Amino acid sequence: MKIICIIKQVPDAEARIRSTAAGIDLEGVTFVIDGMDEYGVEQALRIRESGVEAEIIAVALGPKRYEEAIRTALAMGADRAIHLETEEAFDPITQAKLLAKVVGEEAADLLLVGGKEADWDSAALGAATAEALGWPHSDWTTELELTANSAKVTHDADEGSEVLTLPLPAVITTQQGLNEPRYPTLPNIMKAKRKELKKLSLDDVGGAVSKIVILKQEIQTRERLNKIIEGDPMEAAQQLVKLLQQDKVI
Amino acid sequence: MPCYSEQVKATIQADNRRENGLWFELTTDQKALLGPLKDFLKTEVAPGAIERDKTGVFPHEIVRQLGAMGVLGMQVPEQYGGAALDTVTMALITEEIAAVDGSLCLTVASHNSLCTGHILVAGNAEQKAKFLPDLASGTKLGAWGLTEPGSGSDAAALKSKAVDKGDHFVLSGSKAFITQGTVAGTYVLLARSDQAAAGRSSADGISAFVVSADPKIIPGKPESKLGLHSSDTAALNFENLAVPSENLLGKRGRAFSDVMTVLSGGRIGIGAMGIGLGRSALEIAAKYALEREQFGEPIANKQAISFKIAEMATELEAARLLVLKAATLKDAGKDYTLAASQAKLKGSVEGVKACDYAIQILGGYGYVQDYEVERMWRDARLTRIGEGTDEVQHLIIAREYLKQFRH
Ligand SMILES: Cc1cc2nc3c(=O)[nH]c(=O)nc-3n(C[C@H](O)[C@H](O)[C@H](O)COP(=O)(O)OP(=O)(O)OC[C@H]3O[C@@H](n4cnc5c(N)ncnc54)[C@H](O)[C@@H]3O)c2cc1C
Repeated sequence: MKIICIIKQVPDAEARIRSTAAGIDLEGVTFVIDGMDEYGVEQALRIRESGVEAEIIAVALGPKRYEEAIRTALAMGADRAIHLETEEAFDPITQAKLLAKVVGEEAADLLLVGGKEADWDSAALGAATAEALGWPHSDWTTELELTANSAKVTHDADEGSEVLTLPLPAVITTQQGLNEPRYPTLPNIMKAKRKELKKLSLDDVGGAVSKIVILKQEIQTRERLNKIIEGDPMEAAQQLVKLLQQDKVI
Repeated sequence: MPCYSEQVKATIQADNRRENGLWFELTTDQKALLGPLKDFLKTEVAPGAIERDKTGVFPHEIVRQLGAMGVLGMQVPEQYGGAALDTVTMALITEEIAAVDGSLCLTVASHNSLCTGHILVAGNAEQKAKFLPDLASGTKLGAWGLTEPGSGSDAAALKSKAVDKGDHFVLSGSKAFITQGTVAGTYVLLARSDQAAAGRSSADGISAFVVSADPKIIPGKPESKLGLHSSDTAALNFENLAVPSENLLGKRGRAFSDVMTVLSGGRIGIGAMGIGLGRSALEIAAKYALEREQFGEPIANKQAISFKIAEMATELEAARLLVLKAATLKDAGKDYTLAASQAKLKGSVEGVKACDYAIQILGGYGYVQDYEVERMWRDARLTRIGEGTDEVQHLIIAREYLKQFRH
């Protein structure tokens, strides 16, 4: 079978990102493969390691720097990669259409997509790609089991979970808990350079115009109140609970 | 036509981007290698560092994981399961490990540079095929036994004996301060097989042997040390240890020049270790100085504090450039003896100094364990002793530097 994992590259969770008048300044920021996408790659590898004969392809839509995230996926164990390279930013619906072309052309059986993007906080891409392909979709997936031509999944629902079966081909979006991704080894990181990385341009998939234009971006700033509650621990705790309730934290 | 300086600039930029070229900027390989490793260090190693310093328990599980990731075979060729990394990248990795856990850094550095390093320098094809795969995967840890109770800086004065019995040698003697002494699966032992030939120095006649763990290699109790508590250090005793002749590493009686090569390589790592510890202490001190208020303002506003930070940052950077220069020379196949000693001296001295300053900047908090800088100072202190003391580095640097002016 053919498994495609969609890969995104996002700023490292600890990166200090500044916003300037011109927008978000990413100079000097360390980028990593999106953790949610890593679950997808790991799951694909586990499917293969369980004895299913599978080709694993990492597919990414994004700027040149995405090559680093693609290399991580290849170093983890993906067989080859396709990079639809563009410096332009697209909305998820347009991204989905572009990616669906690549996925359709590869005739994949299973598409794994990160459940939520660490940078945009969007969970739309997986669902939108399923829509574009006309494939069934399971979101927030925490367990995945394959049978001959279907997938059995457990996925988070609001305050609970559901177990579903989906016929293949299908789109599965990941959720924390699906697995514990492996660290790529140093030799595999070096060998990943030698794996196939096919570059596509937007023209190769028919081009696209983003439906959404970003006018302005700002970064949320967190301000500390530096409030210290002093005195008797029992009373202080009660006061803390009150304050947290007041601010609707709990 | 671009003017001359523009051409030069373009060349330098191209050089910067050249894989394994200059090191002012990380190459794409280095970025790709360091990213996941730093992630591992942050998630799996950093959280337990304080605890391991207290208990002194050797972190077998972490070491196993590092082995699986290829960190225990950094310079071993791919055919033996290694990562085949260049020395520059290895130095960068060493610094990162030291920044989170000095003990673990010494484990990794000594395993890679000394035991495995000696086999890489002097081993023949059979020896490499036999010993390197297990070392590269971390299935077996490596120890390297040069120092003895009576011979440290004057390593050639070692007393361990290797007696030739035709198809095997019989080794007897004792070693002191051997890293991985109690946990190793593979040992490289230095012993005297022959008298120094007439007209040659006392270094002549020393041989190296690679030996699998053997009940006849008896480690002493792990040493209780100032720092590096979860690095394993022990004396070794061996009496009538039979070692097959095919385990002789390099030329009989000529191991000492290999020892010097191994140590030069190792020194790059020890310099990087000092820098990693110093850098971590500097980062802690810098953050602390911006937050800690005395006399109504952050102590970083006091020049006495901010100038210390400036000095630490500058000296550590200078040391790092020396380490990377030595590594670059080694990778280029050039003589790096002088550069490696300079890198080791500067990296360790500045590393220790940065840790000392950090303790000063944190005041009383610097002296307690929770803030980590006192541990870093204790860990870093070894870098001025192991693989040649400060004084020995001065000897080497003076000898190498003066060479050019001697008639
Ligand atoms: C934690 C730890 C781990 C170690 N791991 C290993 C290992 O894995 N394998 C191994 O073989 N060894 C190991 N060593 C040993 C280490 O390499 C030696 O301790 C070091 O080389 C110094 O030798 P020494 O302790 O005998 O000191 P000495 O050589 O006795 O030196 C004592 C002092 O005299 C100075 N001195 C000596 N000669 C001169 C001179 N000619 N001119 C000026 N000053 C001089 C020294 O600089 C030092 O200050 C380890 C040591 C430690 C503490």
